[in-house]
Amino acid sequence: MIDIKKEIERDRRAFIKKVLGGSIAGSLLLVLPAGAVDIAEQIPGMREEKAVFTAKRFAFVVDITACIGCGSCCVADKAEYNVPDGHYRTWVERYIIDDHDNVFVDCPDGGLHGYIRAREGLPHPTRDTFFVPKLCNMCEKPSCVQVCPVGATYQTKDGFVLVDKTRCVGCSYCIQACPYSVRFISPATHTAEKCTWCYHRVRKGLLPACVEVCPVHARKFGDLNDKNSEVYKILHEPHVISVLKPDMGNKPALHYVGLRREVV
Amino acid sequence: MHNQSRSKYNSHLIKLIVALIVAGGLGYFARQVFMPASMGTYGHYRGDDIVDQLNVPIRLQTNESCFQCHRPIRQIHKEGIHNSVSCEICHGPFGDHIQDGKKVGVLPVKKGKEITQLCLRCHNKVIQARPRKSIKMIGLPEHLEQKGVRVDHTCDQCHMVHDPLLWINQAKRMMGIKEAI
Repeated sequence: MIDIKKEIERDRRAFIKKVLGGSIAGSLLLVLPAGAVDIAEQIPGMREEKAVFTAKRFAFVVDITACIGCGSCCVADKAEYNVPDGHYRTWVERYIIDDHDNVFVDCPDGGLHGYIRAREGLPHPTRDTFFVPKLCNMCEKPSCVQVCPVGATYQTKDGFVLVDKTRCVGCSYCIQACPYSVRFISPATHTAEKCTWCYHRVRKGLLPACVEVCPVHARKFGDLNDKNSEVYKILHEPHVISVLKPDMGNKPALHYVGLRREVV
Repeated sequence: MHNQSRSKYNSHLIKLIVALIVAGGLGYFARQVFMPASMGTYGHYRGDDIVDQLNVPIRLQTNESCFQCHRPIRQIHKEGIHNSVSCEICHGPFGDHIQDGKKVGVLPVKKGKEITQLCLRCHNKVIQARPRKSIKMIGLPEHLEQKGVRVDHTCDQCHMVHDPLLWINQAKRMMGIKEAI
């Protein structure tokens, strides 16, 4: 009898100890941050770059032959920046070329909800069809920077073309000047906005959001000064590589693999 | 006579110089007031904007960030053929769930037809323009008819969404079916 009482007593103590320990540990978990989420560096050597401008030369490569038009990149982009409805920092166009060389392009909701329906009512059989994701071309000679009257749009020494929200007066000159139509006036701030190649992520060693989420690896991002990077290898090996509207002379840093001449 | 005209000329010149200095001073003052301090540090733009751009919050993380807590799904997702699919595309951005290491919200769970819709974003056969040699394409409802199930079935009733062939392969092993899918 005494033994049983002792046993119960011990059990009770152990139980109370466990409950107390558990609740303290649990509350600590709520109070203490669970350690800053530490993600492995995705762009080699990026976290050592402490200067204002990096010594890297970034390039973006979109592989049209791989893109399946799922619109994950558009979803990621909207989530990362809370892009206002009806505006797109990146979007995916569907090209359909028939055997009479007529070109049909559509882009429902910028590809944000994926492509749900087939394009119907085409007069001739289809010859070629593909998706073209579009985003900022990060031109080496950006015409948007040249026209900005207040110095709100600028090019950093490592090649990013960015928009200073506090300087922009919303005159829309840059929107007219951009040959690739990547800019829009945000209805929230009434300033110009565009894709930044996720400058804030890249500088912290992460890949741009759209590159990170692409399930078929159609979007690639990297440093051209790094001979081991994928973009270096693609641009230095025999591929069908092109940029959009080369005649404009903007020298984009966005390259396309398998780009057809019909794409504008 | 000569001296008089000379002095008159000087007074005009002095007036002009004073006006120019005043205008210059006003211009300088206006510039000091209206130009941001860091304007022109690196070029014709506000240098401090680089810092502002760096401080844009990161809302989307990587799959590894999700797996730090969601351990059981990690193994299934990594071994399956969906390992290149991002968690956040179906579930929503990490930033809506965790901020500064603390849980701030619950991400919505997709159910029923929503799941089918998500699957069809990539696997819908009727969409032209998909590369021929890529992922497996499915036509609905042909696929359901071919597999002999009801046409109102959702994808996740046969396919485990995090590794679509997990259950299929398990069932095949149990039934002793060897042929490839």
